[in-house]
Amino acid sequence: MKGLLLKDFFLIRSVLGILLLVLVVVGGGMSALTSTWVLTVVATVMFGMIGVTTIGQDKTSGWSRVAGVLPVSPQAVVDSKYTLYLLLSGAGFALGGVIGLLGALVQPQADGATFVAISLAIALLSGSITIPCNFLLGEERGIVSLIIAYPLSTAVFVGASMIWKDPLTAGLMVAAAGVALYMASWLAARKLLPRRDAA
Amino acid sequence: MRMQDNALAVKGLTKRYGRFTLENVSFSVPRGTVVGLVGENGAGKSTTLNAALGLIHADAGSVEILGEQTLDAALREQIGVVFDANAFPNALTPEKLNRIFRRIYRTWEEERYRSLLREMGLPADRRIGKLSKGMKMKLAIAVALSHGAKLLILDEATSGLDPIAREEILDLLLDFVQAEDHAVLISSHITSDLEKIADYIVFLHAGRVIFEKPKDELRYRYGIVRCGEAQFAAIDETDRVAWRRQDYEWEVLVADREAAQRKYPKSVVDPATIDEIMLLHIKGETK
Repeated sequence: MKGLLLKDFFLIRSVLGILLLVLVVVGGGMSALTSTWVLTVVATVMFGMIGVTTIGQDKTSGWSRVAGVLPVSPQAVVDSKYTLYLLLSGAGFALGGVIGLLGALVQPQADGATFVAISLAIALLSGSITIPCNFLLGEERGIVSLIIAYPLSTAVFVGASMIWKDPLTAGLMVAAAGVALYMASWLAARKLLPRRDAA
Repeated sequence: MRMQDNALAVKGLTKRYGRFTLENVSFSVPRGTVVGLVGENGAGKSTTLNAALGLIHADAGSVEILGEQTLDAALREQIGVVFDANAFPNALTPEKLNRIFRRIYRTWEEERYRSLLREMGLPADRRIGKLSKGMKMKLAIAVALSHGAKLLILDEATSGLDPIAREEILDLLLDFVQAEDHAVLISSHITSDLEKIADYIVFLHAGRVIFEKPKDELRYRYGIVRCGEAQFAAIDETDRVAWRRQDYEWEVLVADREAAQRKYPKSVVDPATIDEIMLLHIKGETK
């Protein structure tokens, strides 16, 4: 699986500059309007999203056929994408968290924990939907699933906020549900995706 | 031929899609040989190769590779595959592929890979997207030859390449098959390439194997009788493999052209190319 992850790392590295630029523009703008902690959400979502797009790139480039003849199991291919998503979302989360923390040191902001919970909730819920969708659907529809999954996850969080009233509690509850859904999605994908034809 | 003498043995392979069925396909690739899989576009060549490689799930049949029926990681190490188009991401370079594959193949031969890149004139640090089509295909072959593969499977690897690039690739394949335990299965609709390197020809048409024969038998024994209406009527049905009526003559494919020349002295009997044999089977009538 290390080789598969390294391949994705090389692909992501080639677009990392653009990704960071977008993060600075979008994240900078949003944090100026709300809180620097919002960068944890923005960075987590953006980095995770880039990880998911590698599934579509694999199909377009033909790599998914190559992966099918490599000495790795079909489950390892699935594992590599779910692991990549966690690693990238984690990297985005850490980057956003550090910036949020630095911002909070300059100007104290009380909503850090809420944004951290929202980041985890949205990243895990979205990942559990978009990863299998991108495996199952073509590249264009896969991108549509990306566009839909994040607002949908946000809507789930908003709904939870209306139930629990406290955003932090709502974020933690949705994050817990996200962990469960992500694990369920991963296990189901390991079991079902290798049954499909790879060519 | 005993099964263990075959690098690849396909038996009764069947795969049904909407309107297309690959039906009961059987053939073998003996060790130490090059087998050419020919057929028109849509005949089922890629489906056959994909099913043999486990990329698609067959509805019926069995595939035995290097004596094993289970296509596990250890067996995959011994199979080199080259697809019809570049299958490596354009953003990577040959050097990055080296770093990736040495973490994937336990048998990855880094020195061999670098040496092949040098021999093929492939720059290690150039993005794959910047390589020509011929260079991309050579790169795929370099990868396939760098992990101790004993069986090479190539799907239309020479399509769209200029004659020089094709010649170089065919030379590489011939070098590879010099080892007795190595074998090559190559699908192509460029039959002239197969006439150069193949030992056996498997002809697929509409999802079925029409024949599996030694290439030399096709080249040196098969023939085409060109004759008029009366002479055509005089040709024994048992001698006709396939036939068709052209504007001014009949063309009849025969399995033994010397015998046909003796038996039908008034007819012209020409050697048959693989292209002509294919054409007569596809466009003509058969028994």
